[in-house]
Amino acid sequence: MTQAFLSIRGIRKVYGPVTAVENVTMDIGEGEFMTFLGPSGSGKSTTLYILAGFQDPSDGDILLRGKSILATPSHKRSIGMVFQRYTLFPHLSVGENVAFPLRIRRRPQTEIAERVKAALKLVRLEGFEDRKPALLSGGQQQRVALARALVYNPPVLLMDEPLSALDKKLREEIQFEIRRIHQETGVTILYVTHDQEEALRLSDRIAVFSQGEIDQIGTGPELYANPTTRFVAGFIGDSNFIDADVVASSAGKAQLSLPGGVVVDGVPLHGKVAKGRASLLLRPERIELEAGTLVGQLTGTVRDITFLGNNIHVMVEPSGIAPISVRLPFGHSALSGLSPGTKVSMSFNPADSHAFC
Amino acid sequence: MLLDFDKLGVLRGFLVGLTMLVCLFLILPIVFIAALSFGSSQWLIFPPPSWTFKWYEELFADSRWFYSALTSLKIAAIVTVFSVIIGFLAALGLNRGRFLGRDILRALFLTPMILPVVVLAVALYAVFLRLGLAGTTFAFVIAHLLIALPFSIISIGNALEGFDRSIEDAAILCGANPWEARLRVTVPAISHGIFGAAVFSFLASWDEVVLAIFMASPTLQTLPVKIWSTLRQDLTPVIAAASTLLIAFTILLMVLAALFRKGKKS
Amino acid sequence: MAMTATAEGMRRKRAFVGARGGSFGYLLPALVLVVIFFIVPVLMLLMRSVLEPEPGLQNYKALLGSTTYLRIFLNTFLVAGVVTIISIVIGYPVAWLLAIMPEKWSRLVLAIIILSMWTNLLTRTYAWMVLLQRTGVINKTLMGLGLIDQPLPLVNNLVGVTIGMTYIMLPFVILPLMGVIRAIDPAILRAAALCGATSMQCFTRVLLPLSLPGIAAGALMVFVMSLGYFVTPALLGGTSNMMLAELVAQFVQSLVNWGMGGAAAFVLLVVTLTLYAVQLRYFNPNKAR
Repeated sequence: MTQAFLSIRGIRKVYGPVTAVENVTMDIGEGEFMTFLGPSGSGKSTTLYILAGFQDPSDGDILLRGKSILATPSHKRSIGMVFQRYTLFPHLSVGENVAFPLRIRRRPQTEIAERVKAALKLVRLEGFEDRKPALLSGGQQQRVALARALVYNPPVLLMDEPLSALDKKLREEIQFEIRRIHQETGVTILYVTHDQEEALRLSDRIAVFSQGEIDQIGTGPELYANPTTRFVAGFIGDSNFIDADVVASSAGKAQLSLPGGVVVDGVPLHGKVAKGRASLLLRPERIELEAGTLVGQLTGTVRDITFLGNNIHVMVEPSGIAPISVRLPFGHSALSGLSPGTKVSMSFNPADSHAFC
Repeated sequence: MLLDFDKLGVLRGFLVGLTMLVCLFLILPIVFIAALSFGSSQWLIFPPPSWTFKWYEELFADSRWFYSALTSLKIAAIVTVFSVIIGFLAALGLNRGRFLGRDILRALFLTPMILPVVVLAVALYAVFLRLGLAGTTFAFVIAHLLIALPFSIISIGNALEGFDRSIEDAAILCGANPWEARLRVTVPAISHGIFGAAVFSFLASWDEVVLAIFMASPTLQTLPVKIWSTLRQDLTPVIAAASTLLIAFTILLMVLAALFRKGKKS
Repeated sequence: MAMTATAEGMRRKRAFVGARGGSFGYLLPALVLVVIFFIVPVLMLLMRSVLEPEPGLQNYKALLGSTTYLRIFLNTFLVAGVVTIISIVIGYPVAWLLAIMPEKWSRLVLAIIILSMWTNLLTRTYAWMVLLQRTGVINKTLMGLGLIDQPLPLVNNLVGVTIGMTYIMLPFVILPLMGVIRAIDPAILRAAALCGATSMQCFTRVLLPLSLPGIAAGALMVFVMSLGYFVTPALLGGTSNMMLAELVAQFVQSLVNWGMGGAAAFVLLVVTLTLYAVQLRYFNPNKAR
């Protein structure tokens, strides 16, 4: 087995009675863009800080190119990091900020000047050497921080929600820049965010964190199409959840009984036990609507129809369960017969849905 | 309406009048002393019969005044250096520490500042007598350091509160070891706090009277001690001359501080 | 796991000296200084007060039993109380005005106050020694205006001490009170006026209560400072009107009676600490339980 470039093994961090992180394990390839995705408090930042060396894990190990880095202090790990808050040194110019890591390493002045110039060019801030950080916008400051983190060619770049302080448009611009820089430099990136759209846009693979543990690791499409936990299903993409009962199950697929007597067969089942109550995931864009009440299908009344540009959102209220969101592309044939109050039937392909116990 | 300056009505006149009186009350004695230092009356009669520089001449001619000023300067300088260094370390520990009793320790460090100085003076005097250190520069510096340190800790502590620690972390990740990061990044970023610590420590020592009285010896006197012992004997205008010089020094410091603050803002 | 041992070992090493500056070791120099040269000496002084000349509480009995000494305690508390009251009464209106006046003027007034505070204590006390003497300006002016026939004895007594101390304590009342009043939203007072309250009522029912924490804090600070003050009372009070701090000094320096000196110092210390504790308990909003 070839050794992974960066290997995180069984990391655990405990603060007194609180377990912040438990059993975090993954192998990351060289040049990969891995995102830690999860809500606040899920342990993703803690894991990142352990990687940076600002926290020591209670248990577990981290191997870079096969060698443990836990015993190495932060300033010797040669890891780059961009923080959530702006961390440019306020008393130094942009150029001196970027030059800082090279000065610490006592590189000759000519080399420093050259590499600073190249780094600023990479983040598209050529000519900014003499500016003071206080005069830069938030987006520019983060780009300088990025240049500073990359100027000494670290093997790994850590990014802790670097864009959360910026407004949406600027965020998208810089996400694009980050992707471009990743492709140009080939550096291995570990990125932390709570924004699933950002994760999907930037990453090769995503590790979804929930309450200190990793629920699932996979590419965006994998997580979307085949979530293995209810949390992942709900966190990535839009979702509807219906409470159902497991009637029978075999080979990872279940037969479910839905409210209203509807029975669905062949739904992929996830979870430790294969019986009892389950949560059925239905993606809004995988539901077909037909006017009228058809036997054997989930039925409800149209509550609301909203035009959202490229898709239409239909809110359907089945009796006895929570409203279900349905998304239909603009111009879909089913829409012509629909208006608030219409009775409709919902159908879906069981293989496209998932049930979680 | 009571907190709107324009709407106070009659009350405003009263407040303004009182404030003006208080300002006069506060400043007249100082002006008065400065004027008297140029007056020729030995018994400080005001208005003086004539004006003269002789008290200043007497002041400068007496080498003991000069040496006491020099001693004040020397001790204040030593105290400032140690106060800033020890205060910086303590402020760091207090600002970032997560250990039990941190708040108690912070209160402990600030205590010499809020307790009656005479208690500390007497206690220290006793200890130094026993150790044979009474009247030494070492004892003097220690005594002043105890009351200068709280100012240092407060000033640097406040600056550290406003400083984002992630900046220091970023420097560490750039490859600087923790102390390198602190000296090259944190210290410049909180320079106003360190400067304030230095200024307050210096003034605390320079102006200090009670501890100085107890720590002094016939050969080791700071300027306040010299003034005090002279005052105990008589009210000679030479003191007025020394005082006026001190006032001028204070005004100079205030102007410098104001300019420094303006310079920082622009 | 072998890796865990390394992680654990590193963590323990860093916990003490602290790679990120957050730990106990950084406090050591200051702690050593404060313990060896503050806590220990004060404790030793306390010891001496109960051990010299013989073990027992005679020193305290003598201190608190004798009329002479009791009079000194009384004088000290009296002066401190009067100074506090006068400082608050005069200082409050000034702080009030400072809090609301246009910045141009407030800066000037503040400069005057700060200049007064930064001027050497001895200089300021000396000024009053000169001003208040029999042939000084104050008496001369009053006589010149025909208000008095004989010069008033204003120095070498408690009157002089009170005047001098008030002069020194005023800024300590004005500055914090200014901050407190500034923090009160003027809209609250406007609302009170709109509700129909007269100026007097606005003051007694709204402004005063809201600024009470500042008054209490300032008053306590001035009272405590005045209790322990040495220089000004010694110079302006003369030898027959001693206050507590000077009593301590006299025991130690002139009489070389460490037992009594220690006892007096300790009484002063206990009173001060008690007052601070009272303030923390009742007046400090931060520590509200």
